[in-house]
Amino acid sequence: METLAYLAQGFAVALEPQHLFLALLGCALGTLIGALPGLGPVNGVALMIPLTFNFGLSATAALILLVSVYYGCMYGGRISSILLNIPGDEPAMMTTLDGYPMAQQGRGGEALGLTGVASFVGALVATIGLTLFAPLLVEFAIRFGPAEYFALFVLAFATIGGVTGGSLLKSFIGACLGLLLGTVGIDSVSSVPRYTFGWYELYDGIDFIVALVGLFAISECLVFLEDPRQGSRPTMLLGSAMPGVRTSWQCRGTIARGSLLGFIAGVLPGAGAALGSFLAYTLERRWLGRRGNFGTGDPRGVAAPEAGNNAAAGGALIPMLSLGIPGSGTTAILLALLLSMNITPGPLLFDEQPELVWGLVAALFIGNLMLLVLNIPLVGLFARVLRAPGWFLMPMVVMVAFVGVYSLSNSAFDLYLMLAFGVLGYVLRKLEIPTVPVVLGLLLGGQMEYNLRRAMSISDGDWSIIWNSGISVGIYLFAFTLIVAGLIYSWVIRGRLQ
Amino acid sequence: MSELDLHPERVSGALGDRIAGVLLLLLAVAAWWLSHGFASGFGQTVGPGAFPRLVSVPLGMLALYLVARPGLNHRWPGRAARLRQLGLLALLMIYAGLVEPLGFLPTALITVILMIRLFGARWGQALPFGALLAVSLFLLFEFVLGMPLPDMPGLEW
Repeated sequence: METLAYLAQGFAVALEPQHLFLALLGCALGTLIGALPGLGPVNGVALMIPLTFNFGLSATAALILLVSVYYGCMYGGRISSILLNIPGDEPAMMTTLDGYPMAQQGRGGEALGLTGVASFVGALVATIGLTLFAPLLVEFAIRFGPAEYFALFVLAFATIGGVTGGSLLKSFIGACLGLLLGTVGIDSVSSVPRYTFGWYELYDGIDFIVALVGLFAISECLVFLEDPRQGSRPTMLLGSAMPGVRTSWQCRGTIARGSLLGFIAGVLPGAGAALGSFLAYTLERRWLGRRGNFGTGDPRGVAAPEAGNNAAAGGALIPMLSLGIPGSGTTAILLALLLSMNITPGPLLFDEQPELVWGLVAALFIGNLMLLVLNIPLVGLFARVLRAPGWFLMPMVVMVAFVGVYSLSNSAFDLYLMLAFGVLGYVLRKLEIPTVPVVLGLLLGGQMEYNLRRAMSISDGDWSIIWNSGISVGIYLFAFTLIVAGLIYSWVIRGRLQ
Repeated sequence: MSELDLHPERVSGALGDRIAGVLLLLLAVAAWWLSHGFASGFGQTVGPGAFPRLVSVPLGMLALYLVARPGLNHRWPGRAARLRQLGLLALLMIYAGLVEPLGFLPTALITVILMIRLFGARWGQALPFGALLAVSLFLLFEFVLGMPLPDMPGLEW
């Protein structure tokens, strides 16, 4: 009941004209960014952060804008999956399997309409889940001390393998690299400069935003330059999206199952939207078996992953807001925004700034409705951006990154630093060392170290405080279970492929 | 069927992973070494060097493991692609160096046009679209969003 009262206050915040406008702007921009192949939610939101700072927005307004972009990207990703057979972002990958065949049969409009509804239901389920479960998690987390927080950070890094689906070894290497980069700058406790080599530009530490834009946006451009003539154009007739709305009623079971699975995958630390859509698609395919014609244009094959990835996107906000532990790459970037505004997400945030948390949740409900309108009747408009050639889009991305980062500090040093991170991000991608753990390390390293040192000063230097409470032991066990489950899962998948 | 046959864009990381492993190992050792120079403050149970050491140990061990058991890499770029990438980086470094002394508009104009060429467009496309992009970004950021951009010398907007 208390939650409902808070939510009502949240709606009052979200319905302020400025916030409504930002939500609409974010939804439209997000759909655009998501639709562009190669510019997924992580890159898109990273690129938006420096701009947000320059607008001089309040934390609530900035968060509403970026989260609308985030939800919008999840809707937009399906457009190029269906029309071009190129996923707009990683979570939309499964949608190509049945979406593109449908488009080839001239049912592109139907597929877009159907996935619009599926995305709406997925996001709605997740937002309701966020409203109900985030306060519960907060009640639990309010009892955490520094040692428990340290355990929570260990959990975040231990489960990172799931975010990326790549090699566990390389994920951990990325995390350690990020943690080490996070120690650059003046130590907040002792005021000793660490690894700055006398460069005063590094005394404040490595700016998250500069690092993020470099790692994601600039490295994306370097990848694109490998083959700048790539990409094709949508040629097929789109048709109306309205029949898809009727089809979605026939697929209601699929959409419900996909939403639920996606939500669970999103809440789990280190899983994220890609896993949500993957699970939703594969289980639906297994469930229906021969009763469906998956892979050749089955409508249920596009409904399941889209419901799944949108639900996971919403679910991933729960650990980010209530624990300060991001569940996916994009929520890590949202965390960077909050930390840069000197707001530390976690259980205290719900007490100290309820208008921010509940305004955000209400904005998600409203934004989701806006997205439904933007993505069913108006989807044809967004499909048009797919005709923009890469030689125009990529230089635009670079320039927006440069202008945005420059205006944060007015220093050319940050531009060079961003380029260096761009090269680092590119090399890491070639080595298949995932960049999301690097970002997590950079973001969470400071908090992790701070909690460790606080715990140690409470215990007067006795290391056993780290595993001396029931809650920490539980968290370590949970982390261990998730690692083992991940290993078994990848082992089973590998066995099936061979 | 091995994993490589399933993913044609992936190659063996025997060389790349080993080089990366050695570099990361050197980084870990250097971080460990340097952390001893961080003076510990008065009355701190855990000094500023402890956490970097705590991270550099697993980093070093994982790097050693990577040298011993390299995995897969994405296909490294060919010669032409490498030249384009180096071109982009050189162009952007020149931009970063010139944007303050020369101002945003002229620097961005030249950078964007050359960048569009680099991304594979013809001069006929690069000149008009580059000018359009640079000027509209300038108008958008300077006047609509009110973000400070370096002015041209002698000009105040």
